[in-house]
Amino acid sequence: MAFRLCQLSARLIRHPILLSNVRASSAAHGPPVNQHEGKTGVPTASMPDGLGHAVGLERQELLMKLSGNEDPFEMKVTKIPADNKRTNPITVYCMEPSRMVGCVCEEDALYINWMMIHRGEKRRCECGYWFNGVAYDEGGSSHH
Amino acid sequence: MLRNPFHLVEFSPWPFTAAGGALFLTVGLVSWFHGKGMTLMMIGVLVILLTMLQWWRDVVREGTYQGYHTSWVSMNLRWGMVLFIFSEVCFFFAFFWGFFHSSLVPTVELGCVWPPVGILPLNPFKVPLLNTAVLLGSGVSVTWAHHGLMMGNREEALYGLLLTVALGLYFTVLQWGEYEEASFSVADSVYGSTFFVMTGFHGLHVLIGSVFLIVCTVRCYLHHFSVTHHFGFEAAAWYWHFVDVVWIFLYLCIYWWGS
Repeated sequence: MAFRLCQLSARLIRHPILLSNVRASSAAHGPPVNQHEGKTGVPTASMPDGLGHAVGLERQELLMKLSGNEDPFEMKVTKIPADNKRTNPITVYCMEPSRMVGCVCEEDALYINWMMIHRGEKRRCECGYWFNGVAYDEGGSSHH
Repeated sequence: MLRNPFHLVEFSPWPFTAAGGALFLTVGLVSWFHGKGMTLMMIGVLVILLTMLQWWRDVVREGTYQGYHTSWVSMNLRWGMVLFIFSEVCFFFAFFWGFFHSSLVPTVELGCVWPPVGILPLNPFKVPLLNTAVLLGSGVSVTWAHHGLMMGNREEALYGLLLTVALGLYFTVLQWGEYEEASFSVADSVYGSTFFVMTGFHGLHVLIGSVFLIVCTVRCYLHHFSVTHHFGFEAAAWYWHFVDVVWIFLYLCIYWWGS
């Protein structure tokens, strides 16, 4: 009994000591990080700004827009550059092994040519434009 | 990263409980009108209140704590609210149509006059005018709250919201007094029917708007709103302004012209 109690208390004490040891020795050096930076728009404000307490996908969208990406979800039409050719194709990011893409072959076209673009393969629309399927770097995220 | 901006919602029981509650509420209301007690109706009210509480809680969790409300979801919520308020406009438009159908060319049964013979309408320059001032004032205070939010001043937003809620509840109390004072009932000719159905539904909307604003006040107090993302409040403010505008029309048409 006494042995079990000693064992238990030793384990209870050892765990936080080890943990604080690791934390104390592995912390990044440099000035302390201000956790609240950017959470209020002006010094007098008592509420967070847009980025403030935004989390999840909402935050990702805001960060992408702040980093200069105006179309983080690729919802807009991509303009095909004039020098599009086999060696300079449009990059199509695919989360799945293949992705459906619609090509408006010319400005006056009244319909969209749909086709499957496969990861790691270049493909040419019948109008002549080239596309290249590239695996999207998911960064370990899950969901849907 | 998720490559689409839309929120694919989880399974939720609340549409079913809301539908069940609405069924109990409407059937219970009719059964109450027929003198069979309030039990059924109160069950409906309870189910609706519980559904509201939990559905609202879920949406707050999805939007504020899980970050599912991207700019696209927010835009769709805006369109949802716009369409909802438009449907409300249609709802009141129909009742105004009924009112003018009966009042512009009063039938022989009414004495060919409006208000009908024997009806003593309420004086529009007494409590109804005060009600107009109270609701217009609440429209100003809700704008004050909105500016507080946009400036990042939580204290002013809270004061504005509290004042708006207080004015809304004051309006409700005044209308209650008017109903107590009225010399006619919902059964007294088409005047009583249109008057109580229209002002009654407006009063119901004021109550719903007050609940919406109270929820916004609590969420503001709990730091749910940011300077640029506070659509829950904006929807409540749109709804409140809509209720305000309906009252202006009610006051001008029913209380003033109609008396």
